[in-house]
Order: sequence, then C-alpha cells, then structure tokens
Amino acid sequence: MRKKILIFVLFLTVGSFSQNKQILYNFTSVPQSLLTNPGSDVKYNWYFGIPLLSGISTNVGSSGFSAYDLFADNGVDFNVKLRNVVFSTTRKDRIALNEQIELFNGGFKIAGEQGDSYVSFGVYQEFDFMSYVPKDIAILALDGNRDYLGKVFNLGDLNVKAEMLSVFHLGFHKKINEKFILGARGKIYSSIYNVNSTNNSGYIYTIPSTQGVYEQMIYSNLQFNTSGIAKYDDEDYDPNVVKDITKRAFLGGNLGLGFDAGLTYYPKKNIQLTASVIDFGFIKHTNEVESLTFKGTYKYEGVIPKFSSGNSAEDGYQEFKDAVPLDTLYADYTTWRPTKFNTSIQFSFEEERAEDCNCLNYDPETIYKSAVGAQLFVMSTPRTPLVAFTTYYRRKIFNSLQMKATYTIDSYSYKNIGLGLSSMFGPVNFYVLADNLLEYRDVTKANSLSFQLGLNVIFKDSKK
Amino acid sequence: MKLRAIHRILSILILILFSFSCASDLDYNQVNDIKLEPIFISNLAYFDVQANQFVTEGVEQNVIFDAPTVDVFSEKFFTEKLNRVDLFFEINNTINRSYRMDLVFLDRNNQPVHSTNLIVPAYSGVENIVTKTEIFQNATLDLLKRTTKITFTLTMLAGPPLSESSVGSIKLRSGVTAYFVVE
Repeated sequence: MRKKILIFVLFLTVGSFSQNKQILYNFTSVPQSLLTNPGSDVKYNWYFGIPLLSGISTNVGSSGFSAYDLFADNGVDFNVKLRNVVFSTTRKDRIALNEQIELFNGGFKIAGEQGDSYVSFGVYQEFDFMSYVPKDIAILALDGNRDYLGKVFNLGDLNVKAEMLSVFHLGFHKKINEKFILGARGKIYSSIYNVNSTNNSGYIYTIPSTQGVYEQMIYSNLQFNTSGIAKYDDEDYDPNVVKDITKRAFLGGNLGLGFDAGLTYYPKKNIQLTASVIDFGFIKHTNEVESLTFKGTYKYEGVIPKFSSGNSAEDGYQEFKDAVPLDTLYADYTTWRPTKFNTSIQFSFEEERAEDCNCLNYDPETIYKSAVGAQLFVMSTPRTPLVAFTTYYRRKIFNSLQMKATYTIDSYSYKNIGLGLSSMFGPVNFYVLADNLLEYRDVTKANSLSFQLGLNVIFKDSKK
Repeated sequence: MKLRAIHRILSILILILFSFSCASDLDYNQVNDIKLEPIFISNLAYFDVQANQFVTEGVEQNVIFDAPTVDVFSEKFFTEKLNRVDLFFEINNTINRSYRMDLVFLDRNNQPVHSTNLIVPAYSGVENIVTKTEIFQNATLDLLKRTTKITFTLTMLAGPPLSESSVGSIKLRSGVTAYFVVE
C-alpha cells in the first residue's frame, strides 16, 4: 500500500497538468513566485535556492476520469473499465502532466535612489505532456465500424504533445515608484525531446450504398512530429541516454526563446493588482527531427472486376496505400510553449502597526496581517484555452509563517481547495503548497493534484 | 496566545488531512489484460454488367472472367489478428437469362484455396435478388488468409438469345465483416 502511494507520488513527480500554480502565484514570501510573475512585489537582499531542492513542482490532471477508474484493483475486468472510461469521456477531456525541478535559482537586489531593482536567474528542467482523449479513434479500436453506420469518425481527436526541456532564465524587476512594479524575464529553452501531433484533421465514415454495399470514405490529414528521439529507433545506434540528455539539456538541444512579463500595482494602500504573461515563446526543432505523415483521401469500393481484358488486376488495398501513404519527413518545425496568463486583485486588512513602521512601504505582508483576493489563470492549449478562477485568503500567522488558502474552479474540478505554507527559520525559507486537498481522501480518484515544495536561503534587509 | 491557538489548530488540521489521506490499490499490470475485439465492415467487390456486354458483334459470350488482386487478407496484421470473416454476396439480375457466378480464391501460387458459387434465375419482371453469406473461421479462415486473388466467372445459362439491344444488368454487391481480436 505504502509502496503504491510512493509509486503514485513518483508518477506525479514524473508527469504533471494544468500548470496553474494558483497557490504560488503572488505568494511573495516564496522567491519562486517570481517565476509566475516577474513583477512580483518580493522583498529580499539576496537569496539562493538549495540546488535541486529549491523548487520541485508537479501537477497532474485528468478531466473525465481518474487513475482509479482505469486501474482500480477491484476485480472488474480491465476491458470493462477501459470501455467505461472511453464512453464516459468526450473529445474535450484531457490528461496533462507538468513537472519542474529547479537546478539552481538565485537573486539579488540592486538598491536604487528611485526604487530598488531585483535580478533573478536560474535553470530549471521541465516536462510537459498533454493529450486529449482520442475518443473516436478509441471507439474504432474498441468496436470497429460495424455498429456505427453513418457515424463520421473524427481523426482530429488525435491531439497529443510531450516535451522535456531545460530552461535558462534571467529576470529583472524594477520598482518604478511606490505604487508600481514592473518585471520581465528572458528565457532560453533547450529541448531534450519533443513529440507533437496537434494539428490533425480527417474523418472516416461508412454509410449504406446502392453501388457496392457501403460508401466508405477516408480523409486523413495526420502528422506526428518528433525531435530528439529519432536515433533511438535505429537498431545500430548504441544509445548513451544520460550523455545525450545532459548535452541537450545544456543548450545542445533544439533551442528556443521566450519571455515572461508582469506587474504589480497598488491603486490604494490596501488594494493590489497584478498581472503576468509566462512562457510566451517558441522552440525551433532542427536537430534530429523526424515526422510521420498519413495524408490523403480515398473512397474504398472494393475490387471491381471489369471482365474486359480478362484480368483487370485492380487492387483496392494497394490503391488505398498509394492514396493515403505513410510518409516520413525530415523537415524542421516550430512548437509554441503553452503560454500562461495570470491576473489577480487583492484586498488587505488588519493593519499591523509595527513600532518601526515605514509608512511609505506598501508591502502588504509587513503592514497587513490578512488579505483576500481573486485570481484568474488562462493557459493556451492546442484547442480552447484552459481557464481557472481562484479566490484566496492569505494570513500572516507569525512573522515567520505565512499561509495562503485557495479555492479554485476549473474544468477539472469545482471543489479544489489548496493550502500553502511558507516558513522562515532564520534565513532558511521552506515552503510547501498543495491543492485539491479534498482529493487526498483517496488520491487515486483525484482528477487533478498539484504539489510544490522547496528550500531557499533568503537574506532580507536588516532595516524594515 | 491567539496566534499559538491558530497555529495549533492549523497543525492539527494538516496532520488530520495527511493521516486520513489514502490511496486505493491500483494495479497497472491490468494493461496486459487488454483485449480489443473490433468488428469492421467494408466493401469486397462490386460489378454491374450490362446485358449487351454478353454480346460481341452479334455473338453471345456465354462466359466472362476476371481475376483481380485481393491481398488484404494476407497482410501481416490481418493474418495475426483476424478471428472470423463473413463474406456477403448479393446478385441482382434484371436480364432475361439465368446466370451462374463462380468465385475461386487463389493463393500466391495461383492454387485454389476456396470456391463458391451463386445461381441467379432469369428476370421475369419481379425483383430478382439472390444472396449468400459465407463464414470463415479456424481452418477455413486460414485458407482465406492465403488468398491473394479472386477469379470471378460469370456463366450465362441457356435461355432466350440476347442481342446488342437487350436491356437489364447483372449486379454484384459484396461486403466483408471482419472480426478482430487484438490482445
């Protein structure tokens, strides 16, 4: 049992989903919140993350079904469970995994006369996977077409992408004035491998006909792009996976560029507005690219003997293979990163009148003990964007302990309660954030879970 | 004091949450039990021969013949995953002569592996359809899987003579129902 939980958690760690970091966003006592908004109102002199431990983040989600639905050890035949899952989901349901581990991360303040500036930088490794449920193709595989005369099977249901990459980033953030903070971050992506098949279309149908038994048509426009994995297909190649991954992770892979931008604005002392755009960027795949295409149109009539020359030698199956060929291409392609957009509004209350109050300081964490707010998250996907709405309550429990509780509604769940804690013991900052807490009653039945934790060393200003 | 109380409540809450958290037993090995049994339908053959095609320069051609390639059953995927095949034949005759259609399934060495025939009576003004369904399983299916060609022979049986201006046609519609088992 314990082992299985461990495997499941490991599974979560390897894969992860919506990439909504609603607890981390604007939780400024954690320096990693700068990665969700480069214009976060952070306060530190300098900080660094404990290498490999500073930011571990995983996110899994599956709308429509859970791991339990498919893999429950409950005596029900797997094929029955598989059918139930396929027939209870729609082509809009999706599985997504996202995982990030910071290799290192750090930042420092540049004091200025007008206002302080902050520089932050680091490298993290990221894995993304997203697939829609290929419903019609699954029905064809499960049932075939006999019982679906007249149904048009949509080949565009096939929509999947996976990528492992490392990201080198450098961010700069400037306090323009007491009310306004602006930040930006440049990123270089180094793709370790990429698989994507997201612009598919096509259909297959079978309808009764008077000429022939059926009218049967296939139109296929399928393409499957890969980079960084083609050579493992070659039997003669003796792979050295570790060496390959290390080389590609450190800028030896397919490269891309991106940027983040964000701001924080205080229209009033106790009201805060923020917004950010994350991962607006692309990767150009030129090395080790291999694409498979399955494109064409064919109307299958069967063999039609002509009786004229004695042997018409017509071969429908060969004709089909010629009309809808499976081709291999080696052309460059470009993928866009899933771009994330965040925005929030926060009202702070319970003013704390510290003796050494610097009343020009707008930092809500030092002046106000409590805050409530709302956040909106939007992420681009191959189809309609993913949207999540969060309300939250933030509270300073001690000077050294901050808490943020969230309630989020999105397409995976309408009862997602999350909790984040960030503590400071001396200069050591430890944070742990988890959402979908209600699902911890049985994690295997959860539709989505996310988990982030990390250790940083933060040196703040001695003067408050 | 108040802070301490909040802290205590919070710690207890977190403790409760994680101690009550659990995971049902999952068995990923179930994937090995996967068994797909799709049933596909498709056309096998079609022709529509006009009455006057049996007459060349005023002389009746009593036998016409063709042998198109049908190698779909011998594809690797089919030979491995096919469990049963139903072949459906329907002849609709609107010519005032009776016919016999012979089908011979040939393997790559042109050796017959299966044969079948349909006899359709002469058209007399009412719908004149003959159907036949053949089921291939086990040994007969193994023979079908060796098929690479089917010869179609139409033999016109005795009756009133046809001319270049005779009306009607003999029409074949044939379909396949293929039962797969993928494990």
